[in-house]
Amino acid sequence: MGRFRKLYGASPLHLLAVIATLALVGYGFFMIFKSPAPESTLIFFVAAIFAHDMLAFPLYSGLNRIAGQAVGRGASQHDERRVPAINYLRVPFILSAFCFLLFFPLILGLSSDRYSASTGMDVDMFVGRWLGITAAVFLGSAVAYAVRLRRTAGGPDDET
Amino acid sequence: MNLRPPKLPDEPPPGPARPGFWKSPLRGPWLSSFLGSALLPLIVICALTGFLSQLAYSPDLGDNNILPAGGLGFDIFPFSWPTDPAWLYALTQGLHVVSGVVAIPLLFAKLWSVMPKLFEWPPLRSVSHMFERISLAFLVGGALFVFFTGVMNIQLYYPWNFSFVPSHYYAAIVFLAALALHVGLKIPTIRTAFRERGVVRPLNDDLAHTVAEPCREGSTAPLEPDAATMSRRALIAGVGAASIGIGAMMAGQVIGGPLRSIALLAPHGTNPGDGPNGFQINKTADAVGIGAAETGASWRLSVEGRRALKLSRDQLLAMPQHTYELPIACVEGWSTTQTWTGVRLRDLAESAGAPGASQVLVESLQEAGSFRKATLSGAQIDNEKSLLALRVNGVDLSLDHGFPARVIVPALPGVHCTKWVGSMKFEVA
Repeated sequence: MGRFRKLYGASPLHLLAVIATLALVGYGFFMIFKSPAPESTLIFFVAAIFAHDMLAFPLYSGLNRIAGQAVGRGASQHDERRVPAINYLRVPFILSAFCFLLFFPLILGLSSDRYSASTGMDVDMFVGRWLGITAAVFLGSAVAYAVRLRRTAGGPDDET
Repeated sequence: MNLRPPKLPDEPPPGPARPGFWKSPLRGPWLSSFLGSALLPLIVICALTGFLSQLAYSPDLGDNNILPAGGLGFDIFPFSWPTDPAWLYALTQGLHVVSGVVAIPLLFAKLWSVMPKLFEWPPLRSVSHMFERISLAFLVGGALFVFFTGVMNIQLYYPWNFSFVPSHYYAAIVFLAALALHVGLKIPTIRTAFRERGVVRPLNDDLAHTVAEPCREGSTAPLEPDAATMSRRALIAGVGAASIGIGAMMAGQVIGGPLRSIALLAPHGTNPGDGPNGFQINKTADAVGIGAAETGASWRLSVEGRRALKLSRDQLLAMPQHTYELPIACVEGWSTTQTWTGVRLRDLAESAGAPGASQVLVESLQEAGSFRKATLSGAQIDNEKSLLALRVNGVDLSLDHGFPARVIVPALPGVHCTKWVGSMKFEVA
C-alpha cells in the first residue's frame, strides 16, 4: 500500500476511479469517431479550451484591471466615503456581456437566412433588443449609483 | 522503475505559476465549492433531460435513430417514451435548455475561481496528478463544447462540419464522465471548505468584512491578496442575476402565452404572425420546397395497412373529427399549445385494416431533410389524442404548419410531428 502510494501518488481507489472515467471518455470519443466529421468535433473541443483559457479569461481579467485602475484613481482624489464605482460597472457589464455571449449569433445575424427559413421571422429584431437590454442595465446601475452617492454624501455640506 | 516526470526547477517561472500572481481575495476553496455545488444540480437536470430527449425520439423504431450505430446511448432508460402527460416533452426539453443556459454564467464564474490551478507548479507532481489533469482537460473541454454547441443549435448557427446531435451527445458523455471523477475527487475539499466556513456563512460578509481564505498548500486562495473591491455575495448576486435573467428569457419561450414577451433574446421569443395560425414555426414550407402544387386539390394521403387507401382531404374531413388542446415542443427548447382538430391515428389504422397497429412510418411530401419521416410506436398510434390534424384553432392549417395534414401526438418531439404528410404505412400487429 505504501509502495503503491509512493509510485502512483494517491490511493488505489483513485486509480480505479481514473480508469473507469478514462474508459467512459474513450467510449465517448470512439462514438465521436463514428459520427460525421470527427476532426471538426476535435478541433472545436480543443479550440473551446483555448478560447476560454487563453482568450476570454485574459481579456475579461484585463478589462477588469483597467476598469479597476481607472475607477480607483478617480476615487482616490475624493472623500474616502465616496462609494467605489467599480461594481456599478461590473454588474451591468456582466449582464450585457452574458446576453451577448449566449445570443451573439442572433444579435449579429450570423444565421439570418437559416433563421428566417426555419421560423418565418426576421433576425434583425435581436440587435435592437440586446442594445435595449444593455441600455436598461447600465441605466439602472447609474440610477442605483446616484442614489447610493446621494445617501453616502449625507448632509449637503459633505458634497464634494 | 521510475514513474516520476522529468525534473523541473522547484521555483516556478515568473508569471501565473508564481503563487503571488493571483490577487483576488475572493478566490478560494469555499467560493469554488459554493459555485460547484450550485452548478451540479443544474448539470444533473440538463444531463438527465438530455438523455430523455434521445429516448423521446424512439430510436429503436424504424430509421428514427440519428446516433451512429454501435453505441449504448438509447438503452440507458429501460422504458419507452410515454404519451401521457401531453406536456411531458415540453417540460423535459424546456428544463434541458433552461438548466443549460442558467448554468453558463455559473460555469464561467467557477472556471474563473479555479484558474490558478491551470498554472500550478510543478505542472505534474505524480502519475495520479497527471491523470487528474488529463481528466480536467476532458472536463473543461467537454463542458465548453457541450454548452457552446447547444447554445449555437438553438440559434440555428452551425459554424462547424460535424453533425450536432452525435457530437453534442457523445461530448456530453466525455464531459459527464470527467465531471463524476472531478466531483468524487473534490468531495474532501468541499467538505473541508463547508465545515470550516459554513455552506452559506460567507454570504453574510459585506465588503468591509470580505477577506481572503487562508492560503494553504495547493489551495486557490491567494498568497498576497489585494483588498476586496467586491464581496462574495455581490459576485454571486451578479452572476446569479445573469443566470436568472437568461433563464427567464428561455423559460418565456418554453411556457409561451403572455410569458413569451419576456423571452427577448430567445430565438422563439416572438410569434411570427397573428391569427389562428400565427404561432411558432419550425421549417417554413418555403424552406423545404413545399408549395401549392403538391398540397392542392390533387393531394392524396396514401395509407397502407392490410389494404392500401388514397384519401383526399375532403374524405379525411368526412371521417370522425376530434379536437384536443396539445402542446408542440421543439428539441430547441420552445413550445406552444394550440387546439388541433383532425382524424385519430388509430381510426386511420383501422380504416387501412390495421387495427392496433404496432407502429407507423409517416413520410412527408418534403423531399429532403433529416426529419422528413418518422416512425411512431403502437402506444403513440393508440392514444386517443394522437391526430392527423387538418385544422388548428378552428381554421385550416396554414401551409407553414403542414397543410393539408400533419401529425400531432401528445409528448412527441416537434420534429416527429411530421408536416405535409404524404403517406402513412401501418405495421400490422
